[in-house]
Amino acid sequence: MNEEQIVRLAGVSRVYRQGNVEVRAVDRLDLDIRAGEFSALCGPSGSGKTTILNMIGALDAPTEGAVYLEGRNLAELSRGALSRFRRDRVGFVFQSYNLIPVLTAYENAEFVLALQNVPLAERKERVMAVLREVGMADYADRRPDELSGGQQQRVAIARAVVSEPAIVLADEPTANVDSEAAATILDLMEQLNRDKGVTFLFSTHDQRVMDRARRLIRLRDGRLAADEGRK
Amino acid sequence: MLVLSLAWKNIRRYRHRTWVTILAMAFAGAIMIFYAGLLEGWMQAMETNVVSMEMGEVQMHAPGYRDDPDLYTRIPDPAAALLRAEAAGFTGSARLLGGGLAAAKENSAGVAIRGIEPEVEARVVRLHRHIKAGSWLVPGERRGVVLGQQLAVILDVRPGDELVLVGQAADGSMANDLFTVRGILKSVGQGIDRAGLFMPAADFRDFFALEAGAHEIVLLRADPALPLDTATETLAGLFPDLEVKSWRQLQPTLARLLDLSDVSLAIMLLIIYAAVGMLTMNAMLMGVFERIPMFGVMKAIGFSGVRLFGLVVWETLLQITLASLLALAAGLPVSFYFAKKPLDFSFLVKESSTIAGVAFEPQWYCRVTPASVLLPILFLYIVGLVAICYPALKAALLSPVRAIHHR
Ligand SMILES: Nc1ncnc2c1ncn2[C@@H]1O[C@H](COP(=O)(O)OP(=O)(O)OP(=O)(O)O)[C@@H](O)[C@H]1O
Ligand SMILES: [Mg+2]
Repeated sequence: MNEEQIVRLAGVSRVYRQGNVEVRAVDRLDLDIRAGEFSALCGPSGSGKTTILNMIGALDAPTEGAVYLEGRNLAELSRGALSRFRRDRVGFVFQSYNLIPVLTAYENAEFVLALQNVPLAERKERVMAVLREVGMADYADRRPDELSGGQQQRVAIARAVVSEPAIVLADEPTANVDSEAAATILDLMEQLNRDKGVTFLFSTHDQRVMDRARRLIRLRDGRLAADEGRK
Repeated sequence: MLVLSLAWKNIRRYRHRTWVTILAMAFAGAIMIFYAGLLEGWMQAMETNVVSMEMGEVQMHAPGYRDDPDLYTRIPDPAAALLRAEAAGFTGSARLLGGGLAAAKENSAGVAIRGIEPEVEARVVRLHRHIKAGSWLVPGERRGVVLGQQLAVILDVRPGDELVLVGQAADGSMANDLFTVRGILKSVGQGIDRAGLFMPAADFRDFFALEAGAHEIVLLRADPALPLDTATETLAGLFPDLEVKSWRQLQPTLARLLDLSDVSLAIMLLIIYAAVGMLTMNAMLMGVFERIPMFGVMKAIGFSGVRLFGLVVWETLLQITLASLLALAAGLPVSFYFAKKPLDFSFLVKESSTIAGVAFEPQWYCRVTPASVLLPILFLYIVGLVAICYPALKAALLSPVRAIHHR
């Protein structure tokens, strides 16, 4: 497996100020993620999982320290460059509200490729391939409100991986679905990781999900509590 | 185009809000198209009245006559002048003007006497078709007069009645004579209504002992496409020893009022549309706030703020365009209908009356012009786009992190 480093956090802190109160959501964290990893960020509620994922995904900036994605310091990129960077190099799966409600499953998966101006024929091929991989090819013409929560998450995963990003960030992707659907989603992510080498970093506080991760990054109060695995 | 097709899908999905917004805009637009047509119609009617009832388009006088209207200040050879004007592409009529006192029974009133050749005058102004009682002057017939509407009331005369005219003749002697009322005009304008008295030119010459000349020549362009200013200049060049003025120069206030009709329409549009704008803004704002989490996800996956701004603006543009089509579909047929069949206010005012000294007919025609159609539509776009700016900016500047967690 490729040992290329994709993400590096160097002394990263994220401080929220609310009036006079300071919350250190992430506290001087060092972390690196390599290509091909299948890792989980875990820890109790409020331990900083979402905050970390947001910073890695260039949605949020650290108060101290630096975030490197594929060797690039995100702090040095302009707003527009960050937007393009997210579009091209990062796949996102959120807990809910993932899909654009007026677009079909196919169009949702196609969306990022359309933003990238990928030619139509190539788009079609790639979207159908990825929908087949997540088992949603038969639902290509359905809109999100005609799909179950688990199916919606599968389409979201399809959208996240179709552009072949450097990393897919998934913030509690299974929190809003039942355990059966959760198992399917994990199978799917695992399969994509194994067969296609897609790098996944997801957050969870569900023990069953943690059990599937090959690396467990345990957090407490925004600090690294344990880093297990790296199988 | 990705943004445009997404905008189209969005407005189709939020069907209720879309229709309420579109219908509100379309309703306002249709009303304004109709209103603008009525306004244009009214302005047109005012201009027509001034030009075709009284003034003609261009008037010529002997120098100084307009400042000091004296019987002696005459255009020496009006017949020759008319021939030359006609050769230059104008239709005209010469008038003799004088003042006097009219008396009938116990009543008397000051009158402005106008001596004309009835059949010549009829080529320039339409007074002969504006008779309320009796008839217009008959060519060749003598000693008949036609009176303004108010004047007839003051003198308490009807067609067939006699009246005595008293005046001062050109030779300084006292002129007086007996005339028969031949007809009474409908309301034309304050001046004619209260004091206008029309008689054949031959009678005028007899009465005032004035052999030759005329005081005023009124002219119409044969080619209405020729600009009024150009026409006036042509005539001024042709008659350097006369005072040549267009009706706009003679009635500057009215001319300016008519010129400002588009401005007043624009102001009206802004006021009416302010309400529509607020409704639109509210609907758009709701539409944006409701979709904040989705916008957050879209921004997160690489849909830029500029594109998001464009998306919201396109949604608005599409709605305005649909509203404009509806407004045209509703407003134009109504306007065209009332351009053919006027709104009839004769149940309110029996016949033509004057507003601000200008005659106004109880039949109100709509007039469809490019401005009366395009201004309401243009303003719909302006108001809609101004209203959407704030919600669109709001969407464009969203922080994706906060948007995704916005509930
Ligand atoms: N926008 C914000 N303003 C202020 N404080 C915030 C904000 N976002 C997060 N925090 C705080 O930062 C800390 C970390 O939050 P974060 O959402 O990263 O935790 P988490 O591990 O994802 O929790 P959960 O499991 O509940 O999703 C918490 O104490 C939280 O209250
Ligand atoms: Mg979280």
